[in-house]
Amino acid sequence: MESDVSIHCNACPAMGSAPLTGKSFAVQHNISVRGWRTEAGTSALKGFVAVENATIVDRLRKADATIVAIDGMSELGFGPDGNAATAVLLQGRADMVLMTDMMGEARITAARTGIFAFKPTHGIVSRYGWIGLAPSMECCSLLARTPQEMACVMGVMAGEDERDFSLYRGEMPDFTSGARNARLIRKIGVARMPLSALSKGEAGAFRKALDRLGAMGLEVRDVDIADQDLFSVVHRVIGSVEASSSCGRYDGVRYGYRTAASMKNWNDMYLQSRGESFGMPLKAYLFQGAYFQFKNYAAFENAARIRARLVHNLEDLLTQVDVLISPTRRGAALKCPNKTVDDIYDECALTLSANVTGLPAVQIPGYVMDGDADLGLQVIGPRLSDARLLSLAVSLSHGT
Amino acid sequence: MEQEAVIGLEIHVELNCATKMFCDCPNDTSDDPNRNTCPICLWFPGAIPRFSAEALEKAALTALGLNCTLQPLSAFDQKVYYYPDLPKGYQLSQAHLPLARNGWLDIVGENGQTKRLRIQKIHMEEDVAKLVHETEERTPISLVDFNRAGVPLIEIVTEPDIKSPYEAMEFVRTLRTQIRYIGTAEGSLEAGTMRMDANISLRPKGTDQLNTKVEVKNMNSIRHVGDAIGHEISRQAAELAKGEPIVLHTRLWDPVKNETVAMRGKFEGPCVPDPAVPPIVLTEAWRNEMQMKLPEMPSVKAERFVGQYRLTREEALMMSAERDLSEYFEAVVQQNVSPRTAAHWIATQLLPAMRERDQGFADMPIPPMRLAGLLAMLEKDEINANATRDVLARLFETEQSPDQIIERYGFRQVSDTNALAALVESVLEANPSAVNDYRNGIAKAAGFLIGQAMQASKGKANPKRIKEILTNKLA
Ligand SMILES: [Zn+2]
Repeated sequence: MESDVSIHCNACPAMGSAPLTGKSFAVQHNISVRGWRTEAGTSALKGFVAVENATIVDRLRKADATIVAIDGMSELGFGPDGNAATAVLLQGRADMVLMTDMMGEARITAARTGIFAFKPTHGIVSRYGWIGLAPSMECCSLLARTPQEMACVMGVMAGEDERDFSLYRGEMPDFTSGARNARLIRKIGVARMPLSALSKGEAGAFRKALDRLGAMGLEVRDVDIADQDLFSVVHRVIGSVEASSSCGRYDGVRYGYRTAASMKNWNDMYLQSRGESFGMPLKAYLFQGAYFQFKNYAAFENAARIRARLVHNLEDLLTQVDVLISPTRRGAALKCPNKTVDDIYDECALTLSANVTGLPAVQIPGYVMDGDADLGLQVIGPRLSDARLLSLAVSLSHGT
Repeated sequence: MEQEAVIGLEIHVELNCATKMFCDCPNDTSDDPNRNTCPICLWFPGAIPRFSAEALEKAALTALGLNCTLQPLSAFDQKVYYYPDLPKGYQLSQAHLPLARNGWLDIVGENGQTKRLRIQKIHMEEDVAKLVHETEERTPISLVDFNRAGVPLIEIVTEPDIKSPYEAMEFVRTLRTQIRYIGTAEGSLEAGTMRMDANISLRPKGTDQLNTKVEVKNMNSIRHVGDAIGHEISRQAAELAKGEPIVLHTRLWDPVKNETVAMRGKFEGPCVPDPAVPPIVLTEAWRNEMQMKLPEMPSVKAERFVGQYRLTREEALMMSAERDLSEYFEAVVQQNVSPRTAAHWIATQLLPAMRERDQGFADMPIPPMRLAGLLAMLEKDEINANATRDVLARLFETEQSPDQIIERYGFRQVSDTNALAALVESVLEANPSAVNDYRNGIAKAAGFLIGQAMQASKGKANPKRIKEILTNKLA
């Protein structure tokens, strides 16, 4: 197994040459590509054409990759709706997909279709030119059929950007280190709590996956995550507040959608334009954010405090085990077209802890099988353990 | 019951940085509308603010110059409100963790004593766009100029230590001097590079209760500050006398009608930590570096002028009052002009002449070298004080050197003993009664005779030499 890993990972050429020649990347309409329509799935940006490239677009092109557009995405990336994205992959029209992951959208989309997804540590990939909702939660994630090239792409995309000062400034994970990394992951922690939330069939599927990992020589250990039930509410309060702020710029003054109705003053023009711009469930989410901003700021402050504690808890736990695992998603995806905010949070219950804490996570297909349904195996690692996680994904991909 | 005023000021100062606070656009609001804009300050989707190091440095220097303590950790918040001058629905400001706290400025109070007024905090903030209201045909329209959006500001918030319009005016005057000294801002109320709000309330004299305050805006000169606050104090006193409660609101100063007018209720939005601009962590080393960069401040400089140049306290205060003036003074002294002569001539002649011509040191035609040249001739007795005054006036009008002017207009002082002796002789002959008075010990007569001799020389005689000759001749 070790030799396989080194072959694949060492295939990544040295930086500076053109490591992505011949590779194509599909991007949703929320990534700025100069001259392209960049409506981010919202009427608020109707007709908006990007005036500059996102940093990652520049970096991928410089590495000789091709960028192709995906039509269709959830409004401003809120909630998993990656059918168009995975179709592009499955039909072979692109080698990889770049997608916002604000609460697990990329990982869940990948789990549904049985492919790989990787959400890097928050703050190592530039967000410049990326149209999103909650800056402290979301980051650029990768979807791919195989995990081999993900490390190489991460090596191209990650790192300081003079257009995004919020990036981490220390040493970046070493994405060229390959096999040396995989062997660093030995102890796998399984949180007791989410298992009790799974159905019998789902729990059984996950237990089978654990047995398989144990048979591969990994040490599986039960752990307790304190206040695990708070991840969702913390994400919801902080995420919605940030979303409400981020969407403040869609006012119909400088670009995007403005109501056709004749309004008697600017205030009415705002209300009307914004009311016509946003659809459900995003509109409900923005209302929630505005509620915490204007009516219940104390709740936001509490959420921020609890978030710091949750981050501490999880980081502490990750000093006792090397990674934490769980299924990526529960049961069948919701078929109902008119999803509510509650539905979306339910769907992302297992993934959003990585967004609240900013930790890296990888979704691996083929391990947690409930009959025909692939629930996905999610592995969350410590901050900046990105390269190790990707190496693990490669070795596990050979176990299938 | 006698009431006393409690006044706190909130002062916005535009920093003179080369760029805006979160992008590389020029910090110049005078250009054609919307010329200095980019995806960041227009808040295009996907743009991320990039906090300017220069803005941080200038804000920090200003805070240090106003005796504040820089905070090791500060951060930007989003002040959320929706208005067309705000391109993203929130203003980046530091509501929860300001850059600096606990400063002060000393003013000279009404009783002539020094009074210390405390500064509660200084925080950084981006300016908003400017709205221009016009009519097109007959329809009123509002245009937005984003040149000002993102211009770097600091807001200085005082403690409510100010008790009178006079103290408020003195505070603003002192503040302006200090920030011009530091060199980080123009600080002009008239030009709008400094804008201030005053929070005013009344309370029974001698108590420490805090009553409802009223905010007054739109004071575009130091005099307006005094007038507006004075007016608001009387207005509140009259309301209280009538038994009317004071309601929290904002009033605009109308300098034409000389009164404050109530504004529509102000909407106070929430302040949420901004997730995109990283927190600002100032290391001790960096804070020390800024302290080293801080120029010598007026009070320190005045003390040095007394010690180094032997100026009187009053002269030293005068010469250190403004940074450009103090630098001019020192440049003149460097040319070997005696410091007290330089201070005297700058204070009594140069500054009034500049005021008369409405000139500042930047656009004034007499560089230190020229004035030093003139004063050197005075000190060498080559010209007398009268001639020096005349030559100084001419230096404003021509580019000639003091030497050339003196030659051309014949200002050179006559010190030649023979020539002066002849002159004195003729004056004595022409004024026998004054000579008599002098001999009879009437002191006035000497002055009269010297005056006559000076007049006869058309002002060119060296008055000291005249006096000597006269005393000898009549001894
Ligand atoms: Zn700009």
